[in-house]
Amino acid sequence: MIIRFLQRHREASVALIIVVLFAILGLVDRSYLSFDTVLLVYGNSLILFVLAIGATMVMATHGLDVSVGSIMGLAAVVAGLLMNAGWGIPLSIGVALLVGLLCGLFNGVLVSWLKVSAIVATLGTLGLYRGLVHLLSGGSWIEGLPEDFKALTKAGSLGLSPVAWLVLVLLVVAHFGLRYTAFGRSMFAVGDNREGARLIGIRVNEVQIVAFGLNGLLAALAGVIFASQIGFIPNTAGTGMEMRAIASSVLGGVSLLGGTGTVLGAALGAYFMTSIDSILVLLRLEAYWNDIIAGAILLVVLITDGKIREAVDRLLRYQKYRKFIDPQAAGPQADAAKAARPLKTALETSEARK
Amino acid sequence: MKLHPVLKRWEGVLALLLVAEILLFGALNPVFLQPSMLLYATSDFIHVGITALALTLVIITGGIDLSVGSVMGLSAITLGILWVGGVDIWLAAVAALAVGTLGGVFNAVAIHLSKVNPLVITLGTGFLYGGAALVLSGLAGATGYEGISNFDPAFVNLANLEVVGLPLPFALFLALTVGFMALLHRTRFGRYVYLIGQNPRAAAYAGTPVFRTLVVAYALTGLLAALSGLILASYFGSARSDFGSTALMPAITAVVLGGTSIYGGSGTILGTALAALLVGYLQTGLQLVGVSSHVSSALSGGLLVIVVALRSLSEMGRVWLQHRRVLRNVAAE
Repeated sequence: MIIRFLQRHREASVALIIVVLFAILGLVDRSYLSFDTVLLVYGNSLILFVLAIGATMVMATHGLDVSVGSIMGLAAVVAGLLMNAGWGIPLSIGVALLVGLLCGLFNGVLVSWLKVSAIVATLGTLGLYRGLVHLLSGGSWIEGLPEDFKALTKAGSLGLSPVAWLVLVLLVVAHFGLRYTAFGRSMFAVGDNREGARLIGIRVNEVQIVAFGLNGLLAALAGVIFASQIGFIPNTAGTGMEMRAIASSVLGGVSLLGGTGTVLGAALGAYFMTSIDSILVLLRLEAYWNDIIAGAILLVVLITDGKIREAVDRLLRYQKYRKFIDPQAAGPQADAAKAARPLKTALETSEARK
Repeated sequence: MKLHPVLKRWEGVLALLLVAEILLFGALNPVFLQPSMLLYATSDFIHVGITALALTLVIITGGIDLSVGSVMGLSAITLGILWVGGVDIWLAAVAALAVGTLGGVFNAVAIHLSKVNPLVITLGTGFLYGGAALVLSGLAGATGYEGISNFDPAFVNLANLEVVGLPLPFALFLALTVGFMALLHRTRFGRYVYLIGQNPRAAAYAGTPVFRTLVVAYALTGLLAALSGLILASYFGSARSDFGSTALMPAITAVVLGGTSIYGGSGTILGTALAALLVGYLQTGLQLVGVSSHVSSALSGGLLVIVVALRSLSEMGRVWLQHRRVLRNVAAE
């Protein structure tokens, strides 16, 4: 029962791990176990949330974008340079988001129209966009950002900063948008079965390009949040974030093979990745334990999930074909089973072909 | 449209590009053409090439290994820890290689057990190995940026040693290239690698030892990544946990640029070796002409995008031409 539930709701298993993590924290020191800690971790994971939404969309279409870290850096540098050049804050952010959108669309065009495999194309643009970062910033850090810009991530109403509210809204919109709108479903359709999606009238290439474009836009937003949070922009802004974003989504049940996953799951994955960082600090463990713990938990979850999925698949297949394997068990249906036997072989060969 | 036979093979195109690139940079800055310059410049990027050789095997089987960068750091740190602990440096080097190999074996076993996409598993093991390297260096009290140094001079000199006129790392790269060419193109194991990449199910039905082949491929990748870590440690005279963090993407670039399909089933070692030199010399050449190293990495990213897009376009064009020819023949009848 529980396994079936966890199987159907992948998000639940991540939620469970997060609860366990907080429980450990509570065992060590009760005073940490408060709503403030939850909010603290939420505030720390804003960037990863935004990236995870984008990664979910791209991965839903059976794509992959490893260039988001560089897009983040590029958008942050663009916003920083424009703000220091005296452009208004909203305009600077707008241009930065536009740059991100264009970067994402370029990735999408490479993958969809030029048929370059997603990991190769974005691997190339990862280097390309990072180079643009250095070219634009001239190799130096960008400092002296306006105070109003930094205030965007300072705690405001109900302990959440304006950006934190924005991200919350984004999460809700993205979650329901991907699940309940025609466009959201079409992304999953493209990822699940590209040719099938085309046959039912979905413009597969365009849907995938838009998914990459939105991912670029969100990566740019993450870059802006990053700049606002730390108050200056190093050249290395965003490096390595792509792997964390992909890991978060995968942990939350988004399949790299496309077609499945929810934003809620990806967000929980992102929350988990950040809570490890934050909780280790609270537990007064050295920060260098982060990656090994994150990696170990990621692997355990992935391997058990793979095992469970395999077992459930085998069980389902067994129940489907039980009457053919063991005619006595099926009783009166045996005759029907005999008639259906060619169908069974046909099914098996079609499966083998996959 | 008749193509010159050299151009028919991707390796031929790469070799021509490599020669053209060296001549171009030589024209811009004659220093570049000095043999010692050409040979010793390789020390800056040869670790990427060595890792890419073994990574080619894994990618041909239809897998990928994102943990190679972390393995480099882990092997270097293992060496450092053991050295600090008083172990003989050569023994420590062997232990570091063993750690890398074990990492590769673990990757293969985890992929086999979970039946999860190798990309995901090695992403996880990448965090794990990178984290292990960080923990080890943290426990040893080495700060991230200084790392562990003061190695045995004999070990540090290795990277500058000459073998028949070639710097040792480059000679090692050449020897490994020949070895891997023989392994992939001349042995049964090599044929299995291709078969698994073409069609894993057919490979399994044909009685191919799929699991064993994968273990060997991933273990070799771990071994060579660890070797690259040691070369870096010898070259820099210190061991840091973040040694390989910038090496992963160039290594995959070299494999893909070398003509290996990221979906598996095709590719050659020679292509990877040539592509690794092509990308490496591009970086060195640009830096010599006065372009900053960051911009040159952008240009190699751009190069990857352009080359792969052109290959894809030419393939689409070829199919289109073929269709048109068929249609015209049908119309003529």
